[in-house]
Amino acid sequence: MRIAIAALVGVLLAAGASFTAVQLANASQKDPVIKPLYNYGSR
Amino acid sequence: MRERTRHLVAALTGLGLVALGPGLAPGFVLSYDMVFVPDPAFTRLTFGLTGIVPRHVPSDAVVTALATVIPADAVQKLVLLAIFVMACTAAASLVPSERMAPRLAAGVCYAWNPFVAERLLLGQWALLLGYAALPWAVAAAARTDEPGGGRRLVRALIPAAIGGFAALAVSGLTALVVALVTVRGRGAVKVVGAAAVLSLPWLVPGLLRPGGLPLDDTAVDLFAARADTPFGTLGSLLALGGVWNGETVPSGYGTPVIASLWLIVVIGALAAYWAWCREPAWRRGAAVAAGVGFAVAALGAVAAPVLEGLVGLWPGFAVLRDGQQFVAPLAVVVAVGLGTAADRAAAARLPGVALAAVAVPVFLLPTLAWGAAGDLRAVRYPDDWARARRIVDGDPAKGDVLVLPWAAYRSYPWNHGRRVLDPLPRYLHRRVVVNDAVTVGGTTVAPEDPKAVRLAPATTSAAALRDAGVRYVVVDAETAAHRPAGEVREVLRGRDLVVYRIDGSAAPPGDGVPVAPAVAAWAVTGLAVAWSIGVPRATLSLPLLGSIKPRSRRTP
Repeated sequence: MRIAIAALVGVLLAAGASFTAVQLANASQKDPVIKPLYNYGSR
Repeated sequence: MRERTRHLVAALTGLGLVALGPGLAPGFVLSYDMVFVPDPAFTRLTFGLTGIVPRHVPSDAVVTALATVIPADAVQKLVLLAIFVMACTAAASLVPSERMAPRLAAGVCYAWNPFVAERLLLGQWALLLGYAALPWAVAAAARTDEPGGGRRLVRALIPAAIGGFAALAVSGLTALVVALVTVRGRGAVKVVGAAAVLSLPWLVPGLLRPGGLPLDDTAVDLFAARADTPFGTLGSLLALGGVWNGETVPSGYGTPVIASLWLIVVIGALAAYWAWCREPAWRRGAAVAAGVGFAVAALGAVAAPVLEGLVGLWPGFAVLRDGQQFVAPLAVVVAVGLGTAADRAAAARLPGVALAAVAVPVFLLPTLAWGAAGDLRAVRYPDDWARARRIVDGDPAKGDVLVLPWAAYRSYPWNHGRRVLDPLPRYLHRRVVVNDAVTVGGTTVAPEDPKAVRLAPATTSAAALRDAGVRYVVVDAETAAHRPAGEVREVLRGRDLVVYRIDGSAAPPGDGVPVAPAVAAWAVTGLAVAWSIGVPRATLSLPLLGSIKPRSRRTP
């Protein structure tokens, strides 16, 4: 029972965070295509 | 497994599941350096025998071995999930408390922080594998003078050994400092010996590659830590962020309010570690290792000429270029400090504070959740790729494969435009030549694959490619814009991929890395690993999980 509660707490904790994450990501409206096309990244 | 450990694993598996989110759907998460392919095969590339710098050894070999038993996309999800669970469990095991909340606070903090988020987005799962087991390495390094200490140390370093070059550099340096501080000379010798033996699978092919160790001074500036918070590079590193790539900072992290709150948490955790975490044998060693790690992490940013001088002295120091990865021991100290603070709060009958310590990393970095806010999504390789593999791998004629466009990284539309290292060298079971020069911003680091260097001037000429032993040219992006000039036969044209065959190609030259020393290296490392886990009544996991026994009394 305690294991189930512990698992549930973990899921609830991260579910709240994921909801916030999606809201933030939607708000940022980031361009899905990263340019230039063949770079490893940018500083 | 102890009851409390079971609780931790259960809770933190839930945390890991939600962190990965859409990445757990069928298919593959492809992000920067994270490349998994369906049905991988053991090839010369797997063992670093193609002349490239073997950064992917032995992690690719372990993945390939696991993929012979279960589907490769399931292997990827298990590995990513294992990183979260292992990181949480390992950090929790260091907290000198019997209480659940403090151990959970340390576990959550260690698995859910800017370092993990940025490295996960950068696709460096192999580095994170070593990071996840670093707390065990810290504990084991402090006990190398006890009976069985050497074996315990090798066991604790196995995840880092699987991770390869970077992971073992971070874990090895940390363990070395801890051993030097706690058990002095003999312990340090054991750490160096263990790290050396576990390094052999990538060290031997790396030393035997025809080009030797690569040397490019420009990379020091490119991969040095950078500020991702308003507190500058040093403040960002202290907050466990500061990765070189500005594209892999989680959304929302680094804003003044969030960054300030997180930095306060980190400083508070460090203060708690200093004030209250007094008794464990590794306490001083871990603190010194965190300081050394922080200094190494900052080196490229604050003293680039020094690091350039070191790399010029011996190219092996290039492992220090991507400095931010060395803040990993600082993350151990921060996590244990937060757990210690939570324990003090619980002892003072402030359970709300202890629970807040558990939740605070998640609430201050919510965009790590749900696959880093949707950035880590599972995708399927296009059908054209499978058709290309059937054609290329089904052809009995010898010859290499050249990949165009002539660049290492891709932003495929079918991968939502997310950057990824070209998967074709792993996807196809032939020798695949790609331009492995990496471009960051407007600067390009020189290629390291000798064949790529040799073929660079010939990529547009079918005749030159024929003479160089290239039988296929695969174009996997901007397919309309790339085609070798001359006599080539188009054998596949799809929306995402085009394959050209060059008939009559010469026999491809060898890669110049001998197989026998690599086999010997694997044998020696395998024996060392077998020796380490061959303790009576032991398994791989249980001694690790139980290696740190929480004290029976509580922290004063």
